[in-house]
Amino acid sequence: MNAIASRFRASPYHEQGVEQDQNAQDSVLWGSQGGFGNLRAGAPPEFVVPNVPSPTAFLQLHTDDHADPNCRIKIAHGTTTLAFRFRGGIIVAVDSRATAGSYIASGTVKKVIEINKFLLGTMAGGAADCQYWETYLGIQCRLHELRNRERISVAAASKYLSNLVYSYKGMGLSMGTMICGWDKTGPALFYVDSDGTRLKGDVFSVGSGSTFAYGVLDQGYHWELSDEDAQELGRRSIYAAGHRDAFSGNTINLYHVRETGWEFIGNYDVTKMHYDGPGNIPGAPVGGYGYDARVSTV
Amino acid sequence: MSAQERRFNPYTENGGTILAIAGQDFTVIAGDTRQSEGYNIQTRYAPKVFRLTDKAVLAVNGFAADGNMFVQKVQQRLEWYQHAHNKEMPLRAIARLIQTMLYAKRFFPYYVYNILGGIEDDGSGAVYSFDPVGSYEREACRAAGAAQSLVQPFLDNQIYFKNQLPPSGGAHPKHLPLKEVLSLVIDSFTGATERHIEVGDGLEIYIVTASKRPNADLEAIANLKQVPGGFIGGEDGEKIYVVRRELKKD
Amino acid sequence: MFLTRSEYDRGVNTFSPEGRLFQVEYAIEAIKLGSTTVGIRTPDGVILGVEKRVPSPLLESSSVEKIMEIDAHIGCAMSGLTADARTMIDHARVTSQNHSFTYDEKIGVESVTQAVCDLALRFGESMDNESAMMSRPFGVALLIAGIDEKGPQLYHTDPSGTYTRYEAKAIGSGSEAAQSDLQDKYHKQMTLREAQHLILRVLKQVMEEKLDHHNIQLAQVTKTDGFHILSETELQELIDTMPAAPAPGAA
Repeated sequence: MNAIASRFRASPYHEQGVEQDQNAQDSVLWGSQGGFGNLRAGAPPEFVVPNVPSPTAFLQLHTDDHADPNCRIKIAHGTTTLAFRFRGGIIVAVDSRATAGSYIASGTVKKVIEINKFLLGTMAGGAADCQYWETYLGIQCRLHELRNRERISVAAASKYLSNLVYSYKGMGLSMGTMICGWDKTGPALFYVDSDGTRLKGDVFSVGSGSTFAYGVLDQGYHWELSDEDAQELGRRSIYAAGHRDAFSGNTINLYHVRETGWEFIGNYDVTKMHYDGPGNIPGAPVGGYGYDARVSTV
Repeated sequence: MSAQERRFNPYTENGGTILAIAGQDFTVIAGDTRQSEGYNIQTRYAPKVFRLTDKAVLAVNGFAADGNMFVQKVQQRLEWYQHAHNKEMPLRAIARLIQTMLYAKRFFPYYVYNILGGIEDDGSGAVYSFDPVGSYEREACRAAGAAQSLVQPFLDNQIYFKNQLPPSGGAHPKHLPLKEVLSLVIDSFTGATERHIEVGDGLEIYIVTASKRPNADLEAIANLKQVPGGFIGGEDGEKIYVVRRELKKD
Repeated sequence: MFLTRSEYDRGVNTFSPEGRLFQVEYAIEAIKLGSTTVGIRTPDGVILGVEKRVPSPLLESSSVEKIMEIDAHIGCAMSGLTADARTMIDHARVTSQNHSFTYDEKIGVESVTQAVCDLALRFGESMDNESAMMSRPFGVALLIAGIDEKGPQLYHTDPSGTYTRYEAKAIGSGSEAAQSDLQDKYHKQMTLREAQHLILRVLKQVMEEKLDHHNIQLAQVTKTDGFHILSETELQELIDTMPAAPAPGAA
């Protein structure tokens, strides 16, 4: 594991125990190329690794809040995300809560990452890991497009991401993501995580609230769902997770991927869904998802 | 894990709190100036808020040594960018740059929580908040640091009007005027000073105003000073002001 | 003169006593063998045009690619050793993507041009500590066209790594005649369509073959649609609507 880590060491100076200025060796950052970017041509960026025998153990000691809730650097966790394939494309629905320990660090997180006009990625696990690598995936997809004069397939894009995170395996990356898009083969959906798993499938849910979402999703899922019913199923499933999982909630973000690219359907407050429901939307019931069911005497 | 590794602890927590609120054509970024380690106060004046450009101010909180180093490196990158591209870096570009710089130390993180505030290219006030390894988001307001859990709920209520009903027949205002934002900032910090041992001593409030903004409402503010800068936009350009106030010192 | 040349024109990194780098000068000569390439800047966008030499009827003219996309807002036309241009354009594309990754904004046209030129003088040097080495200067010149916050811009780069901004520029074998033609007929307030027709006219004059939609390629970068290579039908329409050349002697 630490043999892998040593590959990512910034420079041989580290071996001599000299903490060198990271900028000094990064010649792309200054001089005639100053400011153009911090990546070398075509290769992933370089990372600074602490000069200790076991960098991974160091990172775990300071950041892993499962093992030690009192560790200093809290990385946002906890989520419910889902995506499913059906006749009308792909529905992507996520919550918007970020937690650091038991503190709700944010209730407005964008957990759907718009990689490009035809590709969406979802965010579960480390927020920065997902944001950074899916943005990075975006530029690689664009380069593929420029070099090959056609859009990258969802299979290829997800495999690029999967190979990328696999090369950092054991270094502490944490991401569980669904890559959703429409390519020559039609709607395509892949699950990719930081362990290196990559699965093609029709229905996925990822995160601490996924069991609750699956419960609603599996019960209502059908390939021949209408667009409206599919969107409602996505919304209703994330609501269920927001309601029963303490680490999920706040608002729902809903996307629909079609042949013409993705479309943002809307943002829905979970509490409002509980009492009032999504309102007069085709496919949605009259009234709230939760409140009426509990108090109505009928 | 060997004993030697356990001893390698390059981090400490220096307390304090920062916050930023975006207005329609201004942004306020503030931080207290107390720096502590454990129960000892190391200094009563350690700035946590820094001018980056004529339209961007960065607040850093967490481990002070990491924070100061990080600010220096951001400033260095801003200078290189200016030489390479012959323009000042826009706010959203600074936000993305900060993400990549934080993430470059994903395996040896800076122990810092950053809040970036300033004026976007479209003239609107903006706040970006970051976690230590670079995940970021644009928001209307954000508090971070020791007293974030005291201050943020207050801001949620006063800025986002969470759990407040709008006046009958009316709606909540979309943007608050500068005068109200400033008093919210001051109340946030006096409140945090009352209830958190790591907050106090001094308060530095930076105000970034959009270009061509009529700044008449600034004249009433006591102790207001303009922060010298590059003045790229000239007399009409974005301006940065700072207000320094005292907080309780016990 | 000849004697000094034969001694000093071999090493790529050796100056002659007169202070010249002959290999770089020869590389610039190589461009004059290339096909004619023209670029015009207008207030609404930039037009690029190239002559595609089709020496055989068996050649698939659509496979000759002399205008390439760098990013949605920047395009590039080439003349000279087009194989060399691929290296440069890939570098430009990577630079542009890296910029948008790091700064969440489109890269400037001049910045891309600068990045390409940085590469031009790195011959005789190994790149990024890799074993691969660039052994000679590039034998290609580029016209880089794009739009950024500074408006539409056209840049010319040559093998010496020099870049210059132009309102209108011609490179390649017919460049001398083409450039003087541009000088006569260019004016600052040209419409896109006028510029397209001017390029057709300039190319028509310097081409040996009869100009048609197979043996030229046109591209434009506009504020509304960004980079776009004109299709053969769009080209045909342009050729059909070309105004007749003014009678000889007319002003």
